[in-house]
Amino acid sequence: MSESKKTFVITRFDPDKDEVPKTQEYEIPVHEDWKVLDAINFIKDEVDPTISHRWSCRMAVCGSCGMMVNGEPKLTCKTRLSDYGDRVIVEPLANFPVIRDLVSELDGFMEKFQAVKPWVIRAKEEAGAVSASNPPKSSKGTFVQSAAELAEFKQFSLCINCMLCYAACPVVANEPEFLGPAAIALGHRYNLDSRDQGLDERNEVFRGEGTVFSCSFANECSEVCPKNVDPAAAVNQAKFGAVIDWATSLVLPRPGASKEGGK
Amino acid sequence: MRHFLLRIEPVIWLLFGQGLLIGTMLLTGWVLVVGIGVPLGLIDPAALSFDRAHALGSNIIGRLVLAALIVLPLWKGAHHLRHLSIDFRGAERDVVVAPILYGIATVASLLGVLAVARL
Repeated sequence: MSESKKTFVITRFDPDKDEVPKTQEYEIPVHEDWKVLDAINFIKDEVDPTISHRWSCRMAVCGSCGMMVNGEPKLTCKTRLSDYGDRVIVEPLANFPVIRDLVSELDGFMEKFQAVKPWVIRAKEEAGAVSASNPPKSSKGTFVQSAAELAEFKQFSLCINCMLCYAACPVVANEPEFLGPAAIALGHRYNLDSRDQGLDERNEVFRGEGTVFSCSFANECSEVCPKNVDPAAAVNQAKFGAVIDWATSLVLPRPGASKEGGK
Repeated sequence: MRHFLLRIEPVIWLLFGQGLLIGTMLLTGWVLVVGIGVPLGLIDPAALSFDRAHALGSNIIGRLVLAALIVLPLWKGAHHLRHLSIDFRGAERDVVVAPILYGIATVASLLGVLAVARL
């Protein structure tokens, strides 16, 4: 295994001492098969234990280690160091408040997830308390879903909440209140779920200000997604759903149509 | 104005989507044939002699195709430019930019439809 040296320019920010983030350089020996995360872990273990960064699984499923590497949002455990030159710039994810060094604040992101109601919405009497007088919908006590129905939404359910799409999105950069790619993809995933009946409720969410129609079709979310979720496709399909919802609301009375007039 | 723009967004997005499709596929073919193929002699100019072109453009299907070729890409362009403006830190000026772009698209669409109707 050959070794070489690379310089890492890492963003440092201590909220107790610093007004603005600064950078610190570390020159370390690296192995050619290292990922970017291996190098940051090496710096933390061997050079400077004061560096703060998030990571967990090292196999691109936990979504913790997203950072900007040379200005691009990357899952650092999945990003080969050999793709970069002698100088690698590592920053916390763009478009998020920074807590410390490479660690970003997640609270606003989590609120956006809740806004799209990411759960199966189903009439309580159908889904809920099963008793002798209220037998379950199927003989097995669950809502049966075919492989084809699963395939409808499976792609959009593979999101690992790594937030790279938010760091890449020009709309999130300009309008922090924008619902954002991952949350829209998640809501859309439930809209496509054959067991779900919450389309009307979520379309109300999707038609408000700062939601699907704020998207400016940059497509960067799908470019940077490490799990090929393709949030841009979800946003476009959600737009189409909202358009159909709007068009049918012109000719058919539906729940929520009266609320629309009162806005 | 912001609220109004949000309300009409589904309609404009629909025009944008159709314009994107027609602009990238049909309009490209149209320009290749009419703008490049015939003038360069790659396609027999007799294929677009006045009588034939007029017959093609003045029946009801021809008029609909021509109107779609003119109108939909205009809305695609207006909507794309508006969002480009927003992406370049233009969320504040959007209440001015959007009406101007959509206004241009509306006027140009009407002129286009008028021209097609008078063929």
